[in-house]
Amino acid sequence: MKNAVSGLGLAPDAAMVTFPIEMFLPGSDLASLPGRKQEFYDGLTRWQPGFVKNTARAAPMLSVEGASYEDALNKANQLLLTNLWGDGLPLWPATRERVDWILRGAAFPRAHVIGKFPPRGGVTTVETCAVALAMAGGRPEYLPVLIAAVEAFLDPESNSEQLQATSGGPFPVVIVNGPIAKAIRLNSGFGCLGPDPQRPAGASIGRALRLLQQNVGGALPGIGTMAIFGAMRYTNAVFAEDEAALPQGWQPHATDRHGYTSGTNSVSLVFANGVTNVRRRGAKKELPQEDALNGMWRMADFMRTPNLGALSGYEKGTPGIMLISPVVAKMMAALGWTQASIRQFLWENSRIPTQQLKRAGAPAWLEIDANPITRDSIKLDPWPITLKPENIVLVVAGGDHPTHFHWLQAHSPRVIGRVMRVPESFDGLLADADRDLGCGSDACRI
Amino acid sequence: MVTLEFHDPSGALDVTQPHAPRLASLAGARIGFVSNEQWQAYRMLPMIKELLEVDFPDIEVLPINAFPQGNELIGSEETAALVKQSGVDAVIVANAA
Repeated sequence: MKNAVSGLGLAPDAAMVTFPIEMFLPGSDLASLPGRKQEFYDGLTRWQPGFVKNTARAAPMLSVEGASYEDALNKANQLLLTNLWGDGLPLWPATRERVDWILRGAAFPRAHVIGKFPPRGGVTTVETCAVALAMAGGRPEYLPVLIAAVEAFLDPESNSEQLQATSGGPFPVVIVNGPIAKAIRLNSGFGCLGPDPQRPAGASIGRALRLLQQNVGGALPGIGTMAIFGAMRYTNAVFAEDEAALPQGWQPHATDRHGYTSGTNSVSLVFANGVTNVRRRGAKKELPQEDALNGMWRMADFMRTPNLGALSGYEKGTPGIMLISPVVAKMMAALGWTQASIRQFLWENSRIPTQQLKRAGAPAWLEIDANPITRDSIKLDPWPITLKPENIVLVVAGGDHPTHFHWLQAHSPRVIGRVMRVPESFDGLLADADRDLGCGSDACRI
Repeated sequence: MVTLEFHDPSGALDVTQPHAPRLASLAGARIGFVSNEQWQAYRMLPMIKELLEVDFPDIEVLPINAFPQGNELIGSEETAALVKQSGVDAVIVANAA
């Protein structure tokens, strides 16, 4: 709540009366409520904030001393944790030298304000992003991706203000298109959602975004965010589409969804609240057509569930992201499947019979939805999980292996795109990366 | 000794407006509720309304649904305008997340 107050431009403080979770459960005992009434009365009459108007609180420099560098580094990490600015993994202290190095990747001045990070409303500048990226072990050439992702995150249409705080625990998924992905070693292949020592960009960028969400946006577990489980919140999900593997006639995601010209460096931001593997490949001697169709049915069967978190994106967002591996995309394209026909199949065959919606209590959530289009959809039987097939995000990524699909279930009112800007010196940064990391983006060992 | 100096990562806060002044008294006041209508709000808020009305006989407490309810609506400019137009002296914001 203090986050929300702060995000409105008020001092980060409020007259509050808080109650334990048990009082919010159906059939709860509210007998203790009258005993708390004076707190309400005082909040309306006596409470005074600890801050006054126009008290801008700039973030200062911090300092620690140690007997050795290792001792100082340890103390710095302890200071970050005790101030609730860490994630439990070791951090690089964002020294002036390290932040200045990261800022070599900026196409904007360091003081350029990107926006206020919700819900706390911390002022987010290019330097703020560089500080987070420095702490997360990032490099200068990652900064354009992080800044574009932050721009997308702060777009009011993303509804990040609510998604930061909600109990469902959505996390940002950043899909990168354009040649920058390969140039900065962003993974689009095997293990694209996880750690990869040869393609480490996604981990650092995603971790930096998470640190911004927590430290600048106030999303602290159980305080600023009520995410009950908080999956994927160490590094979020930052990966690239394997554009080189797109079958003929298939468009890159950024072109398909946002209309960006192929070859444009861009990000596309979706909030997801789950990641699930769906076994796609057959087990015996299926014909190619059977293998493809069976896999599509398994995907549709999985999607046919009332994911009520996706209602916020029913009209203009997405029910989720389907990751299809390059080899499967090629195989299906050879059989005549297109991006449109895949989406159409999944949309038609993931519709849920009203009877099933009713037994799950889903109609009540549809009835209270703020969007009249979503409310009206209750009349449809079977009920489509999203307004139109085009809402389903389809991305070609992952290892060249035919066995699985991946489904990132969404909680995303919109899919927000942003074009990146890189500094004029960007090629020099890439050369530095080749020198530092030991192999060029085309010469990795695996 | 080794000194490490590094940036505070929390970003600056920009306080642009003061909190509303508190009321001198609830006697004769007009109070409204803005609620996200989650969970037990439909039970809790009427209790608070009744407590106020019992303890301050000349108070006017608007019905709990006098303003739009729900997460999607309570933060909107339209709701803020409605609250302003209503002439309430204070608002209790009910938020269960």
